Amino acid sequence: MKLLDLIQFLSTKTVKKIAYSVLVLLIAVDFIIPRHEIHFFGDKIPGFWSLFGFIACVLIIIVSKWIGHMGLMKDENYYDK
Amino acid sequence: MISEIANIQFLHPSVFYILGGLLIPFLKGRVKQGYMLFVSLLAFFAVVNLPYGTFGAYEFLSWKLTFLEVDKLSKVFAYIFTIMGVIGVIYSIHVKNDGEHFSAFYYVGGSLGVIFAGDFLTLFLFWEMMAFSSVFLIWFRKSKSSLDSGFRYLLWHVAGGLILLAGIMLQYSVSGDLSVQYLPFHGWWPTDLQSLASFLIVIGFIVNAAVPPFGAWLPDAYPAATVTGAVFMSAFTTKTAVYALIRVCAGSEMLIVLGVVMAIYGVVYAVLENDARRLLAYHIISQVGYMVAGVGLGTPMAINGVVAHAFCHILYKSLLFMGTGSVLYVTGTAKLTELGGLYKTMPRTMIYTVIGGLSISAFPLFSGFVSKSMTVTAFGEAHLTWAFMALMLASAGTFLHTGLKVPYFIWFGKDQGLKAKEPPWNMELAMGIGALFCIGLGIFYKPLYALLPHAVHFEPYTAYHTWETLQVLLFTQLGFFLLLKKLWCEDTISLDTDWFPRKGAKAFMWITKPLAKIEYKFVGEIYEFIIQKPIMGTAKVFKIIDTVVVDGAMNGLGKLTLAWSRKIQNAQSGQIQHYAMYMVAGFIALIIVIMVLP
Repeated sequence: MKLLDLIQFLSTKTVKKIAYSVLVLLIAVDFIIPRHEIHFFGDKIPGFWSLFGFIACVLIIIVSKWIGHMGLMKDENYYDK
Repeated sequence: MISEIANIQFLHPSVFYILGGLLIPFLKGRVKQGYMLFVSLLAFFAVVNLPYGTFGAYEFLSWKLTFLEVDKLSKVFAYIFTIMGVIGVIYSIHVKNDGEHFSAFYYVGGSLGVIFAGDFLTLFLFWEMMAFSSVFLIWFRKSKSSLDSGFRYLLWHVAGGLILLAGIMLQYSVSGDLSVQYLPFHGWWPTDLQSLASFLIVIGFIVNAAVPPFGAWLPDAYPAATVTGAVFMSAFTTKTAVYALIRVCAGSEMLIVLGVVMAIYGVVYAVLENDARRLLAYHIISQVGYMVAGVGLGTPMAINGVVAHAFCHILYKSLLFMGTGSVLYVTGTAKLTELGGLYKTMPRTMIYTVIGGLSISAFPLFSGFVSKSMTVTAFGEAHLTWAFMALMLASAGTFLHTGLKVPYFIWFGKDQGLKAKEPPWNMELAMGIGALFCIGLGIFYKPLYALLPHAVHFEPYTAYHTWETLQVLLFTQLGFFLLLKKLWCEDTISLDTDWFPRKGAKAFMWITKPLAKIEYKFVGEIYEFIIQKPIMGTAKVFKIIDTVVVDGAMNGLGKLTLAWSRKIQNAQSGQIQHYAMYMVAGFIALIIVIMVLP
C-alpha cells in the first residue's frame, strides 16, 4: 500500500536530517526577509519567533506538568469515591 | 405563517430541521438516510436564498417576537451551521437510533433559531432548545458516566440560561425593549441597573462559550457524548455563544482578559489530558478563547477575525472530533495510553485528523492560518502586546497537542496491537469533505473574507507573517520531539472548576443527612401532635357526614379520576431524562404552533 510506504518513509533518518536543515534554513532566511508589519521589538530581531516557539513549547510542557502534579491530576475514579 | 409561505420565496432555515426532524422516526433504511441528507441540504440552500432584512414578526401577548432577522453577521454563521449540519448528517447517517438523529436535528435547528432571533425572548427559547436537545446526544451513549455527565451538563446550562433570562427581564424592565441589540458591558462590576442587565446577559452567554470558571461542563460532557453526538456538539453551542457575544457585547473589555486566560487555560489542561476527545474539548476552550478575546477588542478587524475563525474552527474541530471519534468507534477507546501504532490499520483516518490538526494550528495553506492570524494581528495592531504574545504562546500549544500529541500517540507511539480498520464509508466521506474544506479555505480564502461582516483589509500570506508562523510552529515541533518522554500520557483526570459543585454537592448531602434525621424526628413528631391529630379528629366527624351524604354522588367521579391517574402514572417515571423529554416535546409543540398559526 502506497500510503503506508509514504508514512514509513517519513520516519526514516533521512527525513530527520532534512527536518533539521529546514530549521536552520528558517532562521537563516529570517535575516533577510522583508519586515513591514512591526508590532513590537521582537519583530525586529532575526530568529525571534524560532526562539519563541521553542521556549513556548518547553514552558507549556514543563509548567503544565508541574501544575498537574501539584494536585490537579487525580485517579480516574476520583469523583466516584 | 403558512399563508406567508405561499407568498414568499424563502423559509426560516431552522424550519427544515424542526419540522423535518418530526418525520425521521417514521422512515426506515435508505429512505431515512436520503431524507435526512435532503433536509440538511435544503436548509443550506434556504440560507443561500435568504435576503437581508427582518421577517416573521409576531405579536405574542404584549411582546413582539421576531424570528428572522438577517444581516451579514447572522448569515455567515447560518452558512457554516448549515454546512456543518450536512457534514454531521453524513457522518452519523449509519446510526440506528432515531432519537440521536432527532436530537441532533433539533440542536442544529435551535442554533439557527438563535442566530436569526430578533428579540431576546425568541433567542432564549431557542437557546434552551439547544441545551435540552443536545443533552440527549450525551445520554444516548447509554453509560452510567455519560448519564451523570448529562445531568451536570444540563445543570450548568439551566443555571446559565436562568442568569441570561434574569438579564433579559431586567433589560426589559429598564428599557421596555426586548429586541436583540448592542449592550456592551464595561469594567468588571455592574454600577447601575442597565449595566447589571448587560452583565447578567454577558454571564449567560459566557457560560455557553465555556469561559472559565463556567466552562468545566464542556470537557466533562463532550467526551461523554456519543461518537457522532460529540461531532455536532463541538460545532454549535460555543459558536452560537460567540455569535451572541458579537451581537450584544462586542467591545466589552472584560472579554479580552477572559479570552486570553481561556486560550492558555485550555492549552495547560490539554498537556495533562489522556482522553483524546477531552483533550480536543480543552482545545475548543482554547480556540474559543481567541474568539472571546477578539470580541472584547471589538475593532472591525478583530470581529472579522472572530467570525472567520468561528467559521474555520467549526470545520477543523469537527474534523478532529470525527477522526478521534472514528478511532473510538473502531477500537472502543479514545484514551491515549491505550492507543498507539494505528498508522498501519487506519492511515486514511490519520491523514484526515492531521489535516484538522494542521488547520487548528494555523499552518500556512490550511484554514486556521487565514482566520486565526487575523484576530492575532488585530491585537498586534492595537498594540496590546501582552495579549498578542499570550495568543502566540497558545498557538504553539495548539500545534503541540492537536497537531503533534494526538496523532503521535494514536497512530504512532507505543504499538498496542489493537485490531482496527478504517471506519464505515459515510464517516470517511464526512471526514474527506471536512478535510477538503480545511485545505480549500486555506488556499481560496477570498470567498470567506467576502462573507465577513466588515470590509476586509488583511492579507494573510505576506512573506514575514508566513515566516513568523512557520518558525513558531516548526520550533514547537523540535521541542515536542526533544521532550517526548516528558509528554508521555498518564492515566489520570484533571480537576477543573466543576470540582466545587461536584464536591460541594457531596458535602451538601453529608450536611443534610443529619438535618433530615432531625427534621424527621422532631419536626415530624411535633407536626403529628399539633396538627395531624386534631385534623384526624375533625376528619372523623366529617367522614361520617361524607359516607352518608356525599359518597354516593362522588363515587363515580372518583373512579374516573382513579382511572385517569393510573394512565398518567405511567408518565411519572421519576426519571429526570423522561421529564426533560416531555419538556422538549412541549417546546417543540409550542414552536410548531407558533410557526403554523397565522
